[in-house]
Amino acid sequence: IKSVKTGSLFWSCLCALAYFYMVSSWGGYVFLINLIPLHVLALMLTGRFSHRIYVAYSAVYCIGTILSMQISFVGFQPVQSSEHMAALGVFGLCQMHAFIDYVRSKLSVEQFNILFRSIVLMGAVVSLSVAAIGTATGKISPWTGRFYSLLDPSYAKNNIPIIASVSEHQPTTWSSFYFDLQMLTIMFPAGLYFCFNRLTDANIFIIMYGVTSIYFAGVMVRLMLVLAPVMCILSGIGVSSTLNTYMKNLDVSRKDKKTSKKNVDHTYPFKNEVATGVVFLVTAFLITYTFHCTWVTSEAYSSPSIVLSARAGDGGRIIFDDFREAYYWLRHNTPEDAKVMSWWDYGYQITAMANRTILVDNNTWNNTHISRVGQAMASTEDKAYEIMRELDVNYVLVIFGGLTGYSSDDINKFLWMVRIGGSTDRGAHIKEADYYTPQGEFRIDKEGSPTLLNCLMYKMCYYRFGEVYTEGGKPTGYDRVRNAEIGNKNFDLDVLEEAYTTEHWLVRIYKVKDLDNRGA
Amino acid sequence: MEAIFSIPFTVLEVPNLKLKRPGWVKQPSAMVMFSMVLFSYFLVTGGIIYDVIVEPPSIGSTTDERGNSKPVAFMPYRVNGQYIMEGLASSFLFTIGGLGFVILDRTNHSMPRLNRILLISVGFISILISFFMCRVFMRMKLPGYLMA
Repeated sequence: IKSVKTGSLFWSCLCALAYFYMVSSWGGYVFLINLIPLHVLALMLTGRFSHRIYVAYSAVYCIGTILSMQISFVGFQPVQSSEHMAALGVFGLCQMHAFIDYVRSKLSVEQFNILFRSIVLMGAVVSLSVAAIGTATGKISPWTGRFYSLLDPSYAKNNIPIIASVSEHQPTTWSSFYFDLQMLTIMFPAGLYFCFNRLTDANIFIIMYGVTSIYFAGVMVRLMLVLAPVMCILSGIGVSSTLNTYMKNLDVSRKDKKTSKKNVDHTYPFKNEVATGVVFLVTAFLITYTFHCTWVTSEAYSSPSIVLSARAGDGGRIIFDDFREAYYWLRHNTPEDAKVMSWWDYGYQITAMANRTILVDNNTWNNTHISRVGQAMASTEDKAYEIMRELDVNYVLVIFGGLTGYSSDDINKFLWMVRIGGSTDRGAHIKEADYYTPQGEFRIDKEGSPTLLNCLMYKMCYYRFGEVYTEGGKPTGYDRVRNAEIGNKNFDLDVLEEAYTTEHWLVRIYKVKDLDNRGA
Repeated sequence: MEAIFSIPFTVLEVPNLKLKRPGWVKQPSAMVMFSMVLFSYFLVTGGIIYDVIVEPPSIGSTTDERGNSKPVAFMPYRVNGQYIMEGLASSFLFTIGGLGFVILDRTNHSMPRLNRILLISVGFISILISFFMCRVFMRMKLPGYLMA
């Protein structure tokens, strides 16, 4: 905004440096590289194009793109992928617009009109054909799945289960908005109103940023991150404008016997009182906002998720340190080159704390590979053993919450493993419907589907669980998360042997047995 | 040069079109844009995208001890789930609160006395109602809200 206001190269270069910092930290920079061209386009459409915008945008685009291509993950994407094409297009449009303005000042009106129309027509035809050829031959790659699902939210649900399974990718509810923002949701329209009242170049940027980020935050919960700065800015604009207008009405001068009557505005009764009321109201809102924020941070955003705690029946606190226990066991008791197979949620944790090689991690970069792991988890032991030999796995790790009542365990995530496993060619034999009862329910007790009761994930989670009493008054093998007694107890494992189970059975590690010495 | 350009036109005939941009199409004013943005804000914060993807029922229901089913307005204990009606009701409150501030700003222009009194009171009431109702809604959803 500063570079747009001043039109100086210095601020534009600083802006490009800040953009480079953003590119190197998060993939969400794509939003920025589309928002800034959109802003320039809006300014062009409302007739506010000037040499300052021209200087600012050209400098930012050139320097910013060259800097962003230094990051190896981005590489040549800015000239190849559709997500960056808008910036390139607006850059070309900028040059043309400035050139047209220059020519217009030199030519006479008649000549100019002819030249203008013919060039516009030719330019439009050329650029359209280039774009069409580029997309058709594949030189310009189409929108990647992650960003396409922002434009069409049902795309991920129907086509790419991995993207749909991440809980932060779900659309946002009103309570998520209110929980994170409280008062800001009410001040946001007020701030927008004040911006629309006084339209300037900078205000238009804020309006566009606000509107686009509200839409994107509505599509995906984790994009609330992108919404937060602009919410604060717009609410700040709202609060300050309100206070501005009302502070002027405050009259704190002493009561003077000789106050002239003509100062009193008869159409505005109680001017002073109303102004005091408004100022007081806004202050009260701001104070309650701080209370809300501190409460939310202490309750929801402060607890680490690697060490869990719960309240026991008598009020004392129980600490579940099972994750670290298991990872350190892996670190100290397995060979250095051991390979661990687990679901991708735990990839980074295992790499960092157990220092062992894993197959898939949170980057979820290779969909086919993750799908293979999903197929292994969802198949019977023999089929899974083939996959595990193929992937050269030594240990398998699962998270099980049935003893403690921890509900984010692998059985609850299992349906996603089935969906992702069945989404590639080699997993076509895995169908989600096989894992439900004939009535369509997902059950782990005796009524559960036999495919589910014999798959690898089930056996790994519930091995030896059939002998354990978990809750008073309930039979052995009672799963406290699904609230049911498990259907398949007292089975043995053929291809795995149990290596380690943590204190509260949260993490279970199994060793993959080697092939038999003699052929079967 | 002219001779080369006129070759196609010995075969083709230029149609006699008279195209004109219709007069009623013009750039919308700022306030019209603002009202469209406000309407989209109402829809988005009501969780309409969540409704379209997840398709929750419009009102939930529970059965009590005697087997009668009672309607449940708010999906309890979860911040990341909602019913359609509760989403629309809350976003309505957000918008009313925002409009309250807009009204309060408008009252500073010149206008007759009665209008001014009425508008100030409407503005105040809408802001207060929206703020406190939102707190109540949140407490109904998360019973432990703002209590340690």
